[in-house]
Amino acid sequence: MSKHKKSQVEDPISPNLIPMIDIMFLLLLFFMLGADMAARETEDMELHEANKMVEIPKETDENNPETIVNIHHAVGGDGGCAVYDNKGICREKDHWKWSISRVSYDKEKLKERLQVLADLSLEDEVDKDAKKKLSKRKIMVRADKTAPYGDVQKVIEYCGMVGLYKISVIGAVPSVN
Amino acid sequence: MAGSQNAEDNPVAINVIPMVDVIFCLCVFFMCSFKFKQVEGKFDSWLPKNKGSEGTPSGEPKEIRIAMFWDEAEKKVRRQFGMRFVENDAELEALMKGAYEDYVAKGSPEVPVIVDGDERIPWRDVLVVVNIAKGMKIDNIEFALGKKDA
Repeated sequence: MSKHKKSQVEDPISPNLIPMIDIMFLLLLFFMLGADMAARETEDMELHEANKMVEIPKETDENNPETIVNIHHAVGGDGGCAVYDNKGICREKDHWKWSISRVSYDKEKLKERLQVLADLSLEDEVDKDAKKKLSKRKIMVRADKTAPYGDVQKVIEYCGMVGLYKISVIGAVPSVN
Repeated sequence: MAGSQNAEDNPVAINVIPMVDVIFCLCVFFMCSFKFKQVEGKFDSWLPKNKGSEGTPSGEPKEIRIAMFWDEAEKKVRRQFGMRFVENDAELEALMKGAYEDYVAKGSPEVPVIVDGDERIPWRDVLVVVNIAKGMKIDNIEFALGKKDA
């Protein structure tokens, strides 16, 4: 009995930490590589799924620049709008915002911004039908699934007014499972 | 990976506990901020270059028009195809398919699908109609213009 007690004092249990450190390093590596730290052009929102959508290519063509116009609910998420937070359809006009690269715009400012973006990348030749130089920039309208259709219409209308005719609407591609 | 466990290989004992603490903290930080990214897709829709808001066309219009109204009382969208109210997506798809096949048989495969929606309807309901049209290989999809700004 006394012999057994003595051995406990002399040989304290020391767990081998090395495998645990190995696993933690792997976990750390996984989460670090998976983390999206890039400067975002998009707002957090819930997109509607549509199975016929074409997946957006990851590479962007420098000759055909793209700009994402977000239409998102700016009040929900932190208890600011009970309707939106409870997955309802909020129709408070002040709650819906238009933004480009995380900067919000009202109607007039958005039109001005779109004009600037259109002028930055004009096509080389005058279009025969429009009788002016149109923009080769593509506008991608990324709207929350409960966003008012009127807001999307307005963005498309403004794009047409400033010579941006390449429009895409963004949704979510359903997962395979 | 972390090396041999033979003590003779590395006689200098390193206290790894602080390192484990730091890695734990980093792991917790990245785990909390981790978010699976949703795959996003697009529907391309080029605007007409020389066509704006036009009046009601004379004669029989060559179009497949889906009218969408917002029912404020029930907070839902009502869809109308011609004079008929459509209850579900399958019914709408069947009606659109029938109309499109009629136009193709008459030699007008370029007939547009026009989404004529109330400005209050949710965007998802418009995407449902666009998705059905794309599924029928109709590329000519038009959005009817809303009210002009005052």
